[in-house]
Amino acid sequence: MAKKKWDSASVLSALVILCLYAAVFIAEQLIPPTSMLFTVLKKGATYALVAVSMNLLNGFTGIFSLGQAGFMLIGAYTYAIFTVPIAQRAIVYQYYNGGVVQFTLPVFAAMLLAGLVAALFALLIGLPVLRLKSDYLAIATLGFAEIIRTVFQWDKLGPVTNGSNMLRLFPTFNDFNLRNAQGEITVYLSTLVPLLISGVCIAVIVLLINSTFGRALRAIKDDEIAAEAMGIRLSSHKQMAFCVSSFFAGIGGAMLAMYQTTVQAKSFTTAMTYEILLIVVIGGIGSVTGSCLSSFLFVACSEWWLRFLDQKQVIGGFEVPLLRNGFRLVVFSIIIMIVVLFFRQGIMGTRELPDLFRKRRSPAKGGEGK
Amino acid sequence: MSDPVLRIDHLTMQFGGVIAVDDFSMVVNPGELVALIGPNGAGKTTAFNAVTGVYTPTSGTVTLLGHNITGLRPDQITGMGIARTFQNIRLFSSMTVFENVLTAHHLRRTSNLLSATFRLNGAEERQMRKDTEELLRRVDLYDLRDEMATSLPYGKQRLLEIVRALATKPKLLLLDEPAAGMNPQETDELGDFIRRIRDEFNLSIFIIEHHMNLVMRISDRIYVIEFGKQIAEGVPSEIQNNQAVIDAYLGGGDEL
Amino acid sequence: MFNTVFPYLLSGISVGGQYALIAIGYTMVYGILRLINFAHGDVFMVAGIIMVYMAASGVPLLVCIPLVLLLTSLIGFAIERIAYKPLRTAPRMSVMISAIGVSYTLQNLVLYITGGLNQIYPTIPFISGSVTIGPATTKVVTVVTPILTIVLVFALVQLINHTKVGMAMRAVSKDFETSQLMGININRVISTTFVIGSFLAGVGSMLYFTNYTTVIQTSGAMPGLKAFVAAVFGGIGSIPGAVVGAFIIGIAENIIKGLDIILFKAGLIAKPMGLATFSDAFTFALLIVILAVKPTGLFGEKTIDKV
Repeated sequence: MAKKKWDSASVLSALVILCLYAAVFIAEQLIPPTSMLFTVLKKGATYALVAVSMNLLNGFTGIFSLGQAGFMLIGAYTYAIFTVPIAQRAIVYQYYNGGVVQFTLPVFAAMLLAGLVAALFALLIGLPVLRLKSDYLAIATLGFAEIIRTVFQWDKLGPVTNGSNMLRLFPTFNDFNLRNAQGEITVYLSTLVPLLISGVCIAVIVLLINSTFGRALRAIKDDEIAAEAMGIRLSSHKQMAFCVSSFFAGIGGAMLAMYQTTVQAKSFTTAMTYEILLIVVIGGIGSVTGSCLSSFLFVACSEWWLRFLDQKQVIGGFEVPLLRNGFRLVVFSIIIMIVVLFFRQGIMGTRELPDLFRKRRSPAKGGEGK
Repeated sequence: MSDPVLRIDHLTMQFGGVIAVDDFSMVVNPGELVALIGPNGAGKTTAFNAVTGVYTPTSGTVTLLGHNITGLRPDQITGMGIARTFQNIRLFSSMTVFENVLTAHHLRRTSNLLSATFRLNGAEERQMRKDTEELLRRVDLYDLRDEMATSLPYGKQRLLEIVRALATKPKLLLLDEPAAGMNPQETDELGDFIRRIRDEFNLSIFIIEHHMNLVMRISDRIYVIEFGKQIAEGVPSEIQNNQAVIDAYLGGGDEL
Repeated sequence: MFNTVFPYLLSGISVGGQYALIAIGYTMVYGILRLINFAHGDVFMVAGIIMVYMAASGVPLLVCIPLVLLLTSLIGFAIERIAYKPLRTAPRMSVMISAIGVSYTLQNLVLYITGGLNQIYPTIPFISGSVTIGPATTKVVTVVTPILTIVLVFALVQLINHTKVGMAMRAVSKDFETSQLMGININRVISTTFVIGSFLAGVGSMLYFTNYTTVIQTSGAMPGLKAFVAAVFGGIGSIPGAVVGAFIIGIAENIIKGLDIILFKAGLIAKPMGLATFSDAFTFALLIVILAVKPTGLFGEKTIDKV
């Protein structure tokens, strides 16, 4: 680290990530777009970003926040509100005379705005909340997410948020596909682009973690009193981490909106936050790579690989017992409890991708890239 | 005569009904090595915490080089030039030796979040790393720089804590029982080290310590407190023969 | 005016009592383990589900009631042994995550068993009937709840103040390590705490679901969170605090539910504002304000960190 910036392990990691992106691009052109693979990659990319943003707080700053669903909701709504095409507003806001917002922003501008609005809320809520001790902070942020969920469904805000009705008809991941004049898809990008967005955002978080500010955050996590004695102002650094994390959770929310193609406040529940937290735990608290891996694993299991658990299976005339709707989630819960109780390090512990290519473990360095 | 580096005037620290420090006053002059001793529970660490901003004094003032620092936050006080170590070692456990010291340079940064994240502060970052390396070389910890801080032997951890404090570029260094848990040989080496850094880094040092041999050997002046009150002050030879001090220690069951 | 407010006040007191019974479980566990038992609300929900299934299988209600309470206590005991005890020396964040994991597991288990459908809670004859008090007609349970709550809390306080295990509990919550050194069997004390907490949550669930009539896997989440807020509001670790906090929250929440009508009848607003939406949000806003202004709550003790 003190010697040269790019050791061979980092280069190798960057290459691996590059190859993965190339593979996705090729797969997308060849495999029918209805394949579950793409569903998993799109949703996985979204969850990976949100999980990493949560890890920035829980794993790298030692702030146990449970407000992630709230910030995702803010991001998703901001994105949706500003991107529904004007022509469609009358349909979407049918109970509110087409709503009050009568312009649209470009997709990427709206995503950026989604992050900024989430960060703004984080700034406001952080003032009273971040002074609290670990578990109080957890419950206060959880409460904040619940408040947000209620406020966004309030009828009086209907002209902006569409009340408790769904927001829809805004641009989704499928709009990233390139089309020719006849409207036929020429190049499929609907999976690659979300992966790129998520990858760029995660790369920024990794850069932050490895900067002098990231070290300050880790110092706070390790020992607040010592960090303060080293001249690190706790309140401003925690506030900063909270805002950055919420910024990316907001972008993650926008991505979730694009993935789902609709947005409704009532779906951003505490359970969603719990799920993301469990993803972080399974990946390893304090490992960006772990959060990414476990996001894709989690999504793949729940959307694809473990789906068979929810249906009756007959093997050779014998009906496998227990298999019916909901069994997948039970199996899932049990796996999670096993990880929580017996494999507290998760998949990666605090290691990152480049560490896998190094012989001796030199912890807490983090890799460039994802 | 120039301003004292540290001046404590009529400091009182009260927790509920307990008065931990009672109307305590003292000074540390430039370049001086001053010790604060007293039986267990006399209020020494509390006094340290009041100086470094961990606690806000109930009454009294703390002045650093003519600036009133009473009631400031710990990070502000560190920024103004007081660094400290802790009685129970508080190293950053997820970091290497190098990173522990590097982190202490954070407060002298000029970069902001964006410039640091996007690596627009290359020169500053390089300077921080260079300073850290240089410091580690000067105190013979360079070979251990990539070890996890908490995997070091106990004596080295104490040493590293002092070095990390030095990296904040203090004018006054507060050491809270640096020799605790050390064997006689390590204690001797520590004594030499403390005097050395005082001279090399132009420091004033304020130390709490229980090892009397060490205190008597390295201190310029000594304050003694018992039950939060000062009972004696003077050069080591005076303190050794002070009846009140001997009584306090015999009563407290500590050896002198 | 009184006639408009009274029914809301009455149901507020009733819900407050039900929250109180849950809140005690939170506050006792926090007092001893310094753990927010995120799964507590789900234990409350599971108690409701057990009742539904037991009654449906033809067990007479009078047998069901003690059996449900026993099973709920057992579940509380088992959760502590399986999910928290192995993490006794782990960082607090790990235990909290384990609690969240248990909550997730219980909800998913119930989802699997019920198929995610609302389950109709059996009618408990005595407390399901109607009663008229002044201007309000309500279920008997509304009146029974606060009385039962007070009786149970009184009994609990007696237990804590005058029995050996109660003394041990107080000692452990004051100083975990020292009481261990003094020969107190920590694990037994902790188990007892979980059993008592779950038992009270079981009682609470009977009163609550008699009132709301349906149970689903997420039924425990909201009352659980609110009961926790009540515990924090009252000063976490304090049983009287939790009870007072729960009543205040129950009442405030129900008044807000009726605020549109109350304000409308008082002539303060011309048309409904949809304020009832905020009855849940209010609880959490209150939480954030309390934590910001007086983190130790109404009856909590201040602690000083040692450096």
